[in-house]
Amino acid sequence: MGRIQLHDIRKSFGAVDVLKGIDLTVEEGELVVFVGPSGCGKSTLLRMIAGLDQPTAGRVEIDGTDVTARSAADRGLAMVFQSYALYPHMTVRANMAFGLQNTRMPKAEIDTRIAEAARMLEIEPLLERRPGQLSGGQRQRVAIGRAIVRRPTAFLLDEPLSNLDAELRVSMRAELSALHDRLGATMIHVTHDQVEAMTMADRIVVLRAGKVEQVDTPLNLFNRPANLFVAGFIGAPGMNLWTGQAKGGSVQLDNGATLPLPVGLAVPDGAVTLGIRPQHLRPEVGGPLRAEVRLIEALGPESVVHADMGAGNGLLAVLPGQPDLARGAVIELGYDPQSVHVFGADGQRLG
Amino acid sequence: MTGVKEVLGAVVAAPLGWLARLLDTPLRLWQRLAGQNGMVAFFLLPNMAIFTVFVLLPLVINIAYSMTTGAALFLPERTYVGAAQFERLLRCTDYTDLMTCQEDQFWIALRNTGSFVVLQVTLLIVAATITALILNRALRALSFWRAVFFFPVLLSPVVVGLIWRWILDRNGVLNAALVGMGMDPVNWLLDRNYAFSAAIGVTIWAHLGFFALILLAGLQAIPRDLYEAAEMDGTKPARVFWRITLPLLMPNMLVVIVLALIRAVQVFDEAYVLTGGGPGTATLFLTQYIYEVGFASLLKNPGLAAAASILMGGVLIVLTLLQLALGRKNERKGKLK
Amino acid sequence: MSRVMGFLTRRKGGTGWDWTDVFTFVWLGSAVFIMFGPALWLVMSSFKSPAQLSEFPPTLLPYEAQTVAVEGYDRPLPLFSVTDEAGTRQLAEVRRVGTVAQMVDPANPTEVQRINIANRTPMREVGFSWDNYLDPFLRFDFLTYTKNSIFVTGVATLITLLTNSMAAFALSKYEFRGRGFVVVLIIATLMIPLSVILVPLYSIVSGVGLINSLWGVILPTVATPTGVFLLRQYMLTIPDELLEAARMDHASEWQIYWRIVLPLTAPALAVLAIFSVVWRWNDFLWPLIVLSRQEVYTLQVGLNAYAGELNVQWHYLLAMTVITMIPVVLVFIFLQRFITAGIAGTGLK
Repeated sequence: MGRIQLHDIRKSFGAVDVLKGIDLTVEEGELVVFVGPSGCGKSTLLRMIAGLDQPTAGRVEIDGTDVTARSAADRGLAMVFQSYALYPHMTVRANMAFGLQNTRMPKAEIDTRIAEAARMLEIEPLLERRPGQLSGGQRQRVAIGRAIVRRPTAFLLDEPLSNLDAELRVSMRAELSALHDRLGATMIHVTHDQVEAMTMADRIVVLRAGKVEQVDTPLNLFNRPANLFVAGFIGAPGMNLWTGQAKGGSVQLDNGATLPLPVGLAVPDGAVTLGIRPQHLRPEVGGPLRAEVRLIEALGPESVVHADMGAGNGLLAVLPGQPDLARGAVIELGYDPQSVHVFGADGQRLG
Repeated sequence: MTGVKEVLGAVVAAPLGWLARLLDTPLRLWQRLAGQNGMVAFFLLPNMAIFTVFVLLPLVINIAYSMTTGAALFLPERTYVGAAQFERLLRCTDYTDLMTCQEDQFWIALRNTGSFVVLQVTLLIVAATITALILNRALRALSFWRAVFFFPVLLSPVVVGLIWRWILDRNGVLNAALVGMGMDPVNWLLDRNYAFSAAIGVTIWAHLGFFALILLAGLQAIPRDLYEAAEMDGTKPARVFWRITLPLLMPNMLVVIVLALIRAVQVFDEAYVLTGGGPGTATLFLTQYIYEVGFASLLKNPGLAAAASILMGGVLIVLTLLQLALGRKNERKGKLK
Repeated sequence: MSRVMGFLTRRKGGTGWDWTDVFTFVWLGSAVFIMFGPALWLVMSSFKSPAQLSEFPPTLLPYEAQTVAVEGYDRPLPLFSVTDEAGTRQLAEVRRVGTVAQMVDPANPTEVQRINIANRTPMREVGFSWDNYLDPFLRFDFLTYTKNSIFVTGVATLITLLTNSMAAFALSKYEFRGRGFVVVLIIATLMIPLSVILVPLYSIVSGVGLINSLWGVILPTVATPTGVFLLRQYMLTIPDELLEAARMDHASEWQIYWRIVLPLTAPALAVLAIFSVVWRWNDFLWPLIVLSRQEVYTLQVGLNAYAGELNVQWHYLLAMTVITMIPVVLVFIFLQRFITAGIAGTGLK
């Protein structure tokens, strides 16, 4: 129960193609996160799965059954909305009961389910209040509770944490993950926050401009981004990406620096983009990278150094501790060649 | 407020809720059969059916009606006469003398309505503006003062007419006051000029609060810090009024003026109950003319009434379009809210 | 009281008297008098007897003649204050012949005195003629008129709320072909007054057989474009996510309307309900045209008919005017906040 398959889902609003053919399988019990910049179609895709919007073309299957033509109510899914969409005129209890009453469930069963969900989410004292009397975090719990009582085949969460303040977001993130472990239900979570995606997901779906860029586990996404977009999108601060010409096992950058490539990677000669995560750079006297420091963000345990390598090439490095650097100083950096990502002229990963 | 809510809930909502639950099952079925468009049709149908029959249809028929003559009520039974009714309304041998017009009553009503609109709207707007300005500064006990001015707005025109008929009666309290002050009593409603003035005064009395309230809302929307800035600059109060208050109030003011014009053109009930159009034809207004020609007089001529109402409708449409245009402009500027 | 005094003594800037302060005082002072005065005068007059109403100059309060029971006379006799050469005393009138009245002292009923009527004034006390209020209901048709008015107001308001909110829901929460057209149509007819379509409307109402029927008064008024417009504007502010949540919750479209959107539109519905009640209660021209038989008159039409009679019985007329005014005044007192907010926000009325 809870396997969701998408087959070539397309959606156009007039002449604008929002989704350009999405194929995806969400396995039962998985927590999958859709992530991408705003306007990438991730929310639209979720609404398509929910049945709130109809795809222009393509098929949605739940547990092998084609549900594309079914209404939202008949798909057995539950959704947590970005605004929570709690019915403001109903108490918390009535909010949770509404969907169950609509399926003509016996009252006793409804009460049991609400009590159970309320205990799980620790919202028992709030049951008789109205949404207007709750804090943001409490509303969030109620919205989740409203989904839980339905015992859906899968949970759909549309940016559920984006309306919370930073501190609350971190703790709710952990709670949601814990909840997923406990319920063992399929969850699809949409967010534009890559940290949220990395910390919560079993698998991440990176979307851009209506297309799937990569689907993989968080670590694989970080370690082996499939293309330039994913490389730039995942990880903070963002990966250093430099264009240059590959020639015989090394790359010459536009500013003249020559950087070695990973051993054993066959890179055809020609234009490539080289990617190195700021965390993988380390100070190395006489190292291949020379840059002038522009700005230092001292965070305490580590420092983010913004530097300029010349010819328009910027450089970001995350150095451990609090290195003694000043603006205008020239630093020399090196790296382990195995940590370098190489992308071809088409933006795809090489090797 | 909760008391009212609960009573309404028990008396109205409970039985309606029961009815709504009863309707749910057939409507779910309909939703399955006819889909979303079917539901849209269902929600629109009652209102649009009534709207079509009782608003749209008459609007269309009115035009056809104005081109017919006779006493028959139903359109197919009426005789087509083309523009003859309009001609009859508008033809005069000498346009400087209304008595030479074929429908002199129409022209009298037109003239009366014209002078009424000009005088009443001017006085009404001035009084409403003064009232709004005063209410805007007298912030203490505002709701009481608002109530003072607003109270007559909700009274029915018949009640308003009767209240003032009683006060302006020959032996009424106003004359008693005049006599008490050593003046001669006045036959308020039997003198042409006094009756006309009375119609103006009474309609202003009845509607002042409404317009003052809209203007007050406009005044209160003007940010206080503008006044504080002006005060810091040492601006004189009169200058503040002309240079800050009035320009910023202008969008509301224009809407109010057009609204007042639209109302004044249609003046009927209060004046009708107060004076019955008299003495003679001194307070005969357009709506009363239409009513009498169409329904009340011995020589009923519904075609003529329809023609007259189309002419009046034309004026109102112009004013309405003006109001919509102004309203839209305001909305863009975001000043009304 | 201290609040009132505080207000009355408040001046601009707090020191000295600006001319605007004087003007404000004069304007507000005369407003209380001019705005409330006429209605108060109506209420006080409505308790006066016919004889008192024809007095000139009128008295402020309603009075009735003081009477006294005198031994030897079956009926109570009217009491007068008499002042002549013999001094001032109170006597009861037995009968009057020309300018001379035969009067007795209640304490000494056997001795009849002859008094010139120029030397006496009737003794009166404040008293209310409740008959002014009772008779129209008992002897005339005002009970029927009142019932008709309540029926028209209640039914028209309910239908207005239901049909307008359904239409507003469809026009604000669904995308469908022709939606823009319907909205424009409704806005375009916002300001079409009844007086422009009187004649054809009459022929239609007559065609469906509703002349002299209260339904003929109700139906043309319920599909108010104003109501649809007002409710639609309000419903547009309800987030669509709520409706979607309800859809995920297995709610039918009808339930979404009834259980989600309608309760959330309550403030706008309240405003519309209040206005609808006031409008329908006060309607005059259209009922005047449709209703020509006494038994279907509404209060407004009944009052007008009564006021139009050759010999106006003011004592009844004034009392019935007060009765007609009462519901609206009650609405005003209890719901003023809603009304003023509604007008300021939408320009409704």
